[in-house]
Amino acid sequence: MIFLSDFLNAEVVDVRQHRVGRVRDLVVVMTEPFPKVTGVILKNNRKVRSLDWSVVRSWDNKELSLKVDAASLQPHSRADSELWLARQILDKQIVDMDGRRVVRVNDLQLSQVEGSMLVIGVDIGSRGLARRVGLEGLGRRVTSALGLDWPQKLISWEAVDPVKSDVSSVKLRIAHSKLAKMHPADIADIVNELSPDDRSAVFAALDDEKAADTLEEIDEPQMQASILERLDVERASDILEAMAPDEAADLLADMPRERAQQLLQKMEEDEAGDVEELLAYREDTAGGLMTTEYVAVLHTLTAAQAIERLRELEPDAESVYYVYVIDEEEHLLGVLSLRDLIVAKPETKIRGFMIKNVISVRLDAGPREVAEVTSKYNLLAVPVVDEHNRIHGIVTVDDVMERVMPARGGGRRRRIF
Amino acid sequence: MLLSVVGPGIITGTVDNDATGITGYALAGSQFGYDLLWLLIVTAICLAAIQEMVARMGTVTGKGLSDLIRERFGVAPTAWVMVLLFVANAATTVAEFAGIGGASQLLFGDVARYIAIPVAGVFVWFLVLRGSFRMVERLLLILSLVFVSYIVSAVLAHPKWSEVIHHTVVPTFHLTAPYLLIFITIVGTTITPWMAFFQQSNVADKGLHPSELRLERIDTYTGILALNVVAFFIIVATGATVFVHHVHVDPSDPSAFAKIALALKPLAGQYAEQLFAIGLLNASLMAASVLPLSTTYAITEAFGLERGIDKSFAEAPAFLTIYTTMIVLGAAIAMFPGAPLALITNLPNIVNGLMLPLLLPILMLLANDKRTMGRYANTPLFNVFSGIVFVFLSLVTLAFLASIFFPALFAA
Repeated sequence: MIFLSDFLNAEVVDVRQHRVGRVRDLVVVMTEPFPKVTGVILKNNRKVRSLDWSVVRSWDNKELSLKVDAASLQPHSRADSELWLARQILDKQIVDMDGRRVVRVNDLQLSQVEGSMLVIGVDIGSRGLARRVGLEGLGRRVTSALGLDWPQKLISWEAVDPVKSDVSSVKLRIAHSKLAKMHPADIADIVNELSPDDRSAVFAALDDEKAADTLEEIDEPQMQASILERLDVERASDILEAMAPDEAADLLADMPRERAQQLLQKMEEDEAGDVEELLAYREDTAGGLMTTEYVAVLHTLTAAQAIERLRELEPDAESVYYVYVIDEEEHLLGVLSLRDLIVAKPETKIRGFMIKNVISVRLDAGPREVAEVTSKYNLLAVPVVDEHNRIHGIVTVDDVMERVMPARGGGRRRRIF
Repeated sequence: MLLSVVGPGIITGTVDNDATGITGYALAGSQFGYDLLWLLIVTAICLAAIQEMVARMGTVTGKGLSDLIRERFGVAPTAWVMVLLFVANAATTVAEFAGIGGASQLLFGDVARYIAIPVAGVFVWFLVLRGSFRMVERLLLILSLVFVSYIVSAVLAHPKWSEVIHHTVVPTFHLTAPYLLIFITIVGTTITPWMAFFQQSNVADKGLHPSELRLERIDTYTGILALNVVAFFIIVATGATVFVHHVHVDPSDPSAFAKIALALKPLAGQYAEQLFAIGLLNASLMAASVLPLSTTYAITEAFGLERGIDKSFAEAPAFLTIYTTMIVLGAAIAMFPGAPLALITNLPNIVNGLMLPLLLPILMLLANDKRTMGRYANTPLFNVFSGIVFVFLSLVTLAFLASIFFPALFAA
């Protein structure tokens, strides 16, 4: 197996066996699926220069021999998407997509394929560490004397995502394309372990929808806020628009007032209005818990018209548990289930078969009261109304349970440092 | 409410008032009166330089110190730093458990330490891994207000304030071994490598934005100020009581703690020993919880090992092994019958003292790195300043080494 550490610090000699310097780094271009080595950075008496990989004849035992003589050396041809392996990848953190975790690069595995040198794997194990300090041979002798197996811990380059914040954003978009395909909950877990800059780099590579979903999955308000704060205002407001209004409001409530105002102004008027309304309510009331994403239809419609209206609204899955029936002034008149709508004759007025006495809570109801109501009547969501019985939003059962139950969720990672 | 504004700097400053700290300052006051007060100002400035750098690095990079060391210097140098950090912090952990033992002896009698130390070990282990560490951390921070008793006691002891102020401003120096030993103890216990690692991890974990750097600096300096105010009044309180009454305190003598406790007599009267013991117990427990954990995080981060307090042994074997080893080792050594407690509480200061001149250049290199720090890198003026700090700390370490290997040089 060939490793990056075999090259680092190797003596470079030209065709006449003259010393040219020592290897400092290898340069790769980000080709798919594996990055290809294009150049060598070497250093001689504090002078740093580069040479093209094509002039390398062979390497062995910490010596790299060239096909040409030192005088005719040309610097390697630079490319936009190049990375310096030792400086930008080695010892840094990368995302292991299969293991869905963040790991540190102890060494890089290279392989010669059809005349090209490719980076094919990442060493994340103790053997990589030992190799770096020159103790791999000793360690292997010890373990084999003890009859133990000392496996290499390598992951394929195809399964990693180099989280690099000092690489320009164009390259990042390519680099993070794999990450962007993961489930938002998994991205959230990974983001949890990264530094703030790297977090923002990951978010820069996600589209608005995915970014919004991921942000919702991160349940530390402080961290959510710090991620948004590091993105530019345009982008941050786009992500906020894509989030559920209640989540967006919770997030903004955790940000400095000025910044929150700035973001609200940049948002589309509709979404900003919803979020602003939610922000006005105290956090520990039904108003603060509710979301403005609910489905309401006018009482004058027929069942068929109501279903048509639903198609237009394209509601999210979690807000379609109940269809609320309102009048022109948004007074809450009744409630329907999807089932009711579908089994009813298309031309029947919904007023005729809706359930008239709707269980609802007031805007200022406490979380405990909301929880009691939902559990008593076995509701998945409860509408929130003002003193004139006008509907303002709904509280879903998971949101209220989250508030009432003790905070320690089972699955989430606890962090101290 | 108050606790929500308590930042990493204040927490670090409070944890630094640990068993070695309290004993160190109290011994200084008992043996030399107010002579060492000026040193507190010097150490505060040095400490401020170091902690400001790590707080800045934590804020700007969002990474822990061991992350940065690994990413900048590679495997081999990181391994050396981590070995030293482990030894230094393990030694300090032993001292914290010794403090727990000492406090329990004052409270419940001689045999108590054989019960108190293992109980504390198990308590700390479970507390961090299975309990709500944040909550207990806050509780201990509140309990740290017990240190206010030193301020009150110092005032009640009616020290000669003119003398106190004189010694704070004008350095007094004796070239004798006992003075030098206390001198180094104070430097070693106030400025420690683990504080740098601890605070940077804490800052990084908070996810502060560079624009919040000003707040984080205020937090850092407040923590150092709080630490030094307590240290100052411990020295004044002991200086105005133990020292003026010519009570001879020998750190290797088992009754040393009881004698030091006299400092609280003006406030607590006959309960002075109990009050002292509670303060010592609290300080030791807090540091004993924080130190092994912060060390374990630093090492596992540096080598990219699986970590996290909610991981099982199968998931994160190295993490749990290092953490458990530190606690078991710390408790076991502190419990060893006839353990030389004086040496135990001084050992960490030796290792910490040795490590500082090594760590400071590393910090300076990292904080000067334009690639990671951008416009938040050290200014030239700051570099000159931390260069002076480096020279000072190196001289202290050299002097200390000399006093160990050539004791004749420092004979009175």
